[in-house]
Amino acid sequence: MLTFVEEIVLLMLDDDGSVLPIRETTMEYVVAGAAMMDLAFADRIDTDPQRLTVLDATPTEDPMLDLALTRITGSAEARSPGAWMETLARHDAKAIREMALDRLVKRGVLERRDESFLWVFQSRRYPVIDDREEREVKLRITGVLLSDDLPDPKDVALIGLVDACNILPYIFSAREIERVGPRVEQLRKMDLIGREMGGAIAEIERSIMIAMTQTPH
Amino acid sequence: MEIEEEKQGSVVIVSPVGRVDGVGAPDLDRRLAELAERGEHSVLLDCAKMDYISSAGLRTVLIGARTCKQNGGALTLCALQPDCKTVFEVSGFLAIVKSYDTREEAVAAQTEAG
Repeated sequence: MLTFVEEIVLLMLDDDGSVLPIRETTMEYVVAGAAMMDLAFADRIDTDPQRLTVLDATPTEDPMLDLALTRITGSAEARSPGAWMETLARHDAKAIREMALDRLVKRGVLERRDESFLWVFQSRRYPVIDDREEREVKLRITGVLLSDDLPDPKDVALIGLVDACNILPYIFSAREIERVGPRVEQLRKMDLIGREMGGAIAEIERSIMIAMTQTPH
Repeated sequence: MEIEEEKQGSVVIVSPVGRVDGVGAPDLDRRLAELAERGEHSVLLDCAKMDYISSAGLRTVLIGARTCKQNGGALTLCALQPDCKTVFEVSGFLAIVKSYDTREEAVAAQTEAG
């Protein structure tokens, strides 16, 4: 069973193993949100729209999640889930993502390929070599979005992650997206961490758009 | 967490008292699972005495509602207090879990639905 961080890191790759065109800041917020969801489902933290509460500071024994947990438990200051997401996105998301990729490589899900271009530019790709995990995650997403059943809380959280980084067009056709749109709208806010993450990313996107339109030509 | 329980006709009314958060939600989780094991799939969560709900509490409600529905019944809510109602509203829960103002309305609706 993959963690939310591993699932979303896997889904952020295309068939070639390159990262999908997702803004760096968005990726960091989504990874931070996924780590918080993993901690919530491991009963380490709890949230409401205003506060994040530590339920249990005991390490999860998962270094990737304990990086986030240590950051949170190391602060005496009470903060909102949004403020913690920003902190984790800024300080820990890159390291958490690297750890997730390393783990997926060790499990034989991905392969790491370092390539050079014109002998100067280095690029790294992570082609999928065993697509069972990826197929299982995509099947879960499809199952939840194409049904009217009450969803499992874990699937709700996953939908929030997928929607926040806007990768549904890489999973569904345009016609299917039109069909599942209302269901995504219904589910994406049901996980409070997912709701916070979606709001923060939308705010960042808005700020960037405003900055771009105000840039003199 | 204190949880009151009574039965009116075919509807089991479960009333959590206080905070349904990461500490209290597991108790509610267990109670709802016990009801499912006893074959009670028509459940009314009376929220009159529930003064707080967190993410963990919402997950418990969702799992309870899902289990009831999978077994041919339903879980509904009633008497949501303002703070809890806000959390249920912003998370979109009220679009998929029915909520009534009073216990009487909820029991009547749930009894009629069978």
